[in-house]
Amino acid sequence: MAQQLRAIRGGKADERQENTLIDYSLIFTVLFLLGFGLVMIYSVSSYEAALQFDDSSYYFKRQLINTIVGLVAMTIVALIPYRLWQRFLVLAYIVSLVLILLVQTSLGITANGATRWLNLGVSLQPAEVAKLGMIVFLAGLINKIGGQIRTPRGFLVALLTPAPIAVCIWKITDNLSSAIIVMAISFIMVFVADPDYKKFLAIAAAVAVFATLYVMYVMHAAENGTLSGFRNQRILAWLNPEAYASGKGFQTLQALYAIGSGGIFGKGLGESIQKLGYVPEAQNDMIFSIICEELGLFGGFAVILLFILLIWRCMIIAQNAPDLFGALLVVGVIAHISVQVILNIAVCTNMIPNTGISLPFISYGGSSVVFLLIEIGLVLSVGRSIYFRDLS
Amino acid sequence: MPRSNNASTGQNRPFPTRMKKKLVVLVLVVLLAFLGLSVRLFMITRDNEETYKRQVLSQQSYDSTTLPYKRGDIVDCNGTVLASSEKVYNLVMDAKDLLNHEDDLDYSLQIAEQCFPALVDGDVRSYINSNPSSQYKVWLKQLSYEEITPYLEAQDDAENGSHVHGFWFEEEYKRTYPNNALACDVIGFTTSDGIGQFGLEEYYNDELSGTNGREYGYLNDTSTLERTVVPAVDGNTVVSTIDANIQSVVEKYLKEFSDEHMNEARDGLGANNLGAIVMEVDTGNILAMASYPNFDLNNPTDLSSYYTEEELAAMTSDDSFLDTCNNLWRNFCISDTYEPGSTIKPFTVAAALDAGVITGNETYLCEGVREIGGYEIHCHNRYGDGLITVKQAVETSCNIALTYIAEELQAAGFTEYQHNFNFGLKTNIDLAGEARTDSLVYTAETMGATELATNSFGQSFNVTMIQVIAGFCSLVNGGTYYEPHMVSQILAADGSVVKSIEPKALKQTVSESVSETIIDYCNGVVTEGTGKTARPAGYAIGGKTGTAQTLPRGNGEYIVSFMGYAPADDPQIAIYVVVDRPNVASQADAKYATRIVRSILTEILPYLNIYMTEELSETEIAELEELENTLTSSYQQMLQGDVSGNDPSGTEGDETSGEEGSQDTGAAGEDTGEDDDSSDDATDDLWESIDTEVWKTFEKDPVTGNYIDPVTGHQIDPITGDDLTGTDTGELVSGEEEEAQ
Repeated sequence: MAQQLRAIRGGKADERQENTLIDYSLIFTVLFLLGFGLVMIYSVSSYEAALQFDDSSYYFKRQLINTIVGLVAMTIVALIPYRLWQRFLVLAYIVSLVLILLVQTSLGITANGATRWLNLGVSLQPAEVAKLGMIVFLAGLINKIGGQIRTPRGFLVALLTPAPIAVCIWKITDNLSSAIIVMAISFIMVFVADPDYKKFLAIAAAVAVFATLYVMYVMHAAENGTLSGFRNQRILAWLNPEAYASGKGFQTLQALYAIGSGGIFGKGLGESIQKLGYVPEAQNDMIFSIICEELGLFGGFAVILLFILLIWRCMIIAQNAPDLFGALLVVGVIAHISVQVILNIAVCTNMIPNTGISLPFISYGGSSVVFLLIEIGLVLSVGRSIYFRDLS
Repeated sequence: MPRSNNASTGQNRPFPTRMKKKLVVLVLVVLLAFLGLSVRLFMITRDNEETYKRQVLSQQSYDSTTLPYKRGDIVDCNGTVLASSEKVYNLVMDAKDLLNHEDDLDYSLQIAEQCFPALVDGDVRSYINSNPSSQYKVWLKQLSYEEITPYLEAQDDAENGSHVHGFWFEEEYKRTYPNNALACDVIGFTTSDGIGQFGLEEYYNDELSGTNGREYGYLNDTSTLERTVVPAVDGNTVVSTIDANIQSVVEKYLKEFSDEHMNEARDGLGANNLGAIVMEVDTGNILAMASYPNFDLNNPTDLSSYYTEEELAAMTSDDSFLDTCNNLWRNFCISDTYEPGSTIKPFTVAAALDAGVITGNETYLCEGVREIGGYEIHCHNRYGDGLITVKQAVETSCNIALTYIAEELQAAGFTEYQHNFNFGLKTNIDLAGEARTDSLVYTAETMGATELATNSFGQSFNVTMIQVIAGFCSLVNGGTYYEPHMVSQILAADGSVVKSIEPKALKQTVSESVSETIIDYCNGVVTEGTGKTARPAGYAIGGKTGTAQTLPRGNGEYIVSFMGYAPADDPQIAIYVVVDRPNVASQADAKYATRIVRSILTEILPYLNIYMTEELSETEIAELEELENTLTSSYQQMLQGDVSGNDPSGTEGDETSGEEGSQDTGAAGEDTGEDDDSSDDATDDLWESIDTEVWKTFEKDPVTGNYIDPVTGHQIDPITGDDLTGTDTGELVSGEEEEAQ
């Protein structure tokens, strides 16, 4: 334990101060990702923004404001002892659910054909709130269940309580990817809490088999011409993007062109050609492909390394968290960030079918960055409760 | 402290080691996933880098925008703009952009509709609905800057400007002719894509045209896309030798003549064609060149002033519309050929004098008819001019004397001089559409005795107006033949001189002494002979009339003309007016041309600072005063009625304000006509002195006022003595020549 504590000492520990951990490595990693994200958003979006809004820094400015709001929220959350949130588990669940349901009211905002936002003075994506809500709720729930998680009943309770939220996100806001992320976060948190491996491997295998069968069904249906639904079309485009180059495969294919044409060191910051109207939504889900185009494999790997560093620091904090609730909160954040990064890059590289998942801290999106920073605030709050008791 | 917290919640548990292990497993799985993604990234780059690079470049559209050039202006010698190009704007709609800003759609359309009432909202909306991806739809064309200003202001509006979307303006240039029909045949016009048609616009198309600029993107050597602008090069300005003031005077009187004789003897204009050229004798500069009917350069296909709607509809249905247009657009002065008639006589005499085959002191006996090569050649005076000198032969326009003179020259000499005077050759005037006449003249080999005889007085070969006046200038300027030309300078768009076109002396046609003799003879034509009515009050001029029969002979249709110069002692300018088949009962009267000449010269000689040398009679003084009043009143009318003010030439009377003026001058013209009639006695005196007007002894027809030939019963023109009735008229020659035409 003492060795680990020494290992995680970030900065000088002042003997007279309370010997708490302020994880500067984590903070700087996050700040660097945010700064890098802002630079890339400006680079990627300035052309489209100038065309559409006559203001090349349109997206940049909005994201800058959101980032500042997020940093303030992060600081506040970091200063609040995280254990406080244990008292609001049910509230977190209910708020998540209510916000999702509110989308169906007149407060809902429709854009790009889907109603995923709420107009509460500022626009808010309930799915992002739900991700945070589920992390807090599930950490508290598992903490309460305790050893019961090993029993089938405990396991099912922990895994299935978030399911209604996920279904609502999927069905009400028509946002399958966020639903998948919520379920993945839950799955991972339960996985960490439950010492067993077999049933998790079984579930993973079952999902893989189901996915494979579904893809085969889609291919079969496409051959018979009985296929419908844009998600199924995306699966076909994923299997053979060239065949759907002007339709569903366009975005994927253009993203691949962007990544491939960047080479090892890229075309240089700001020199992307694909961002000039070829990669749709380049500042959102496809920003990673433009990073690869401008900064090359080098830039892509650097971004991945930054995320590894971020996850590494979170893991250290979780390992040293003073209690199970704090540790599970951090695990939830790790799960959230990892899943989104992996899925986002997998979409950009056409390893999975195209689905709208943003790259944490980098993609354009107000709700996403604010709630991610609140999550980092939780992690920092957990970190602050670690004491260097063995020092001095 | 944590312990106390744990105690307070009562739920806190430690993070057990087994979970820490699973957390490590989780992170390892995540790392593995990242590794997999990294490998995938590497594979994409390794396997596809070159292909994808090419793909990315190949889907770049190197879209380029054309920046239109400004076609050069055409200005007259005083800098008056005759043709210019102004920037106009096409209203283009981008439906996609409009739909991208759906919230602002209504506002954008409302603004557009407000600024451009011609836009029908319903059409625009239905177009947007049916073509949501359209990005280029031209709604309105050729708007002026003033017309689009309201929209530009709405766009720049600080408050709501950012909500205006979907429309932009495409620039292009529109050719405009501020003086409308003025000098239409000379200037020509341009097609909608800026290619000159007819006149200076066509001849100087290369000078007037510039080079379009281009704004385009390209890939530089590091394969990055760059944009660059190659600016347009504007066309050069063409400075014409035309003087818009003189031109407008000339056109005024041509139109006046036409209006005066409209529907007189037949339906239609006052003459089939009217042509006039004013030229500087010592430079070859054309000061004015006009023909009538004319057309509006700003709207060349508008024939409504000459044809009714039914006629136009008929033309469109039988495809003759374009032919009619082409006939209207062609420049009569250079494109139409005709038999010149007696205006050629000074040329024949000059050739004989210059060749030394006559001295000018010879006398010839004209008995009214002479048989040459088996054909009877008649003098216009069928009863013979008697024994006349060379000078008298020119003055009275005696055909028979001229046949004798031409015989001295023989076919070889005659055709050589014809060639020297540029008949049968192009003058190379810098206008598009000059007619070829090489097949319309005889060579020494093809010219028989009869042809030589008829050629000597201007029959059986064809000329263009510009050939006649260019040759005539050399006869009266000391013998130097200048190439006639219309343009004195080419200026670059910035005003610097690109090219100066100096007078081009091509050859010496006759000697200086011959030139002086011809001036003497031609002065005699106006003082003593057939051209008296051409003389403007207060001036001495010289010249020669022409009354040429058209084919077939004996159809009673004539082309009458007068070519002259002023002042008589030292010719500065030459003028040539042709009236092609005047719309009158008896066409064979050169006065139809000489009166136009007189009117034109009366106005332009003072303008050219040529001073009066002759005493004015009382009638002439009254006449000049009336003219002055007319001009002043029409000028005042113009000041009141025409506020456009871009037409300095209008000060000399123009079409728009000349209605009353032309009526007044029309009255003045009648006065001169009366003068002519009343001075018949004086004319008689003149003719008596030559003592050849045998027809005057005949009985007069009380109805027409013509004399009647007692032998044939034909009517004889009281002044010229021409036979007005018979098919077998004075200058009739065989069918052979007719076929040779």
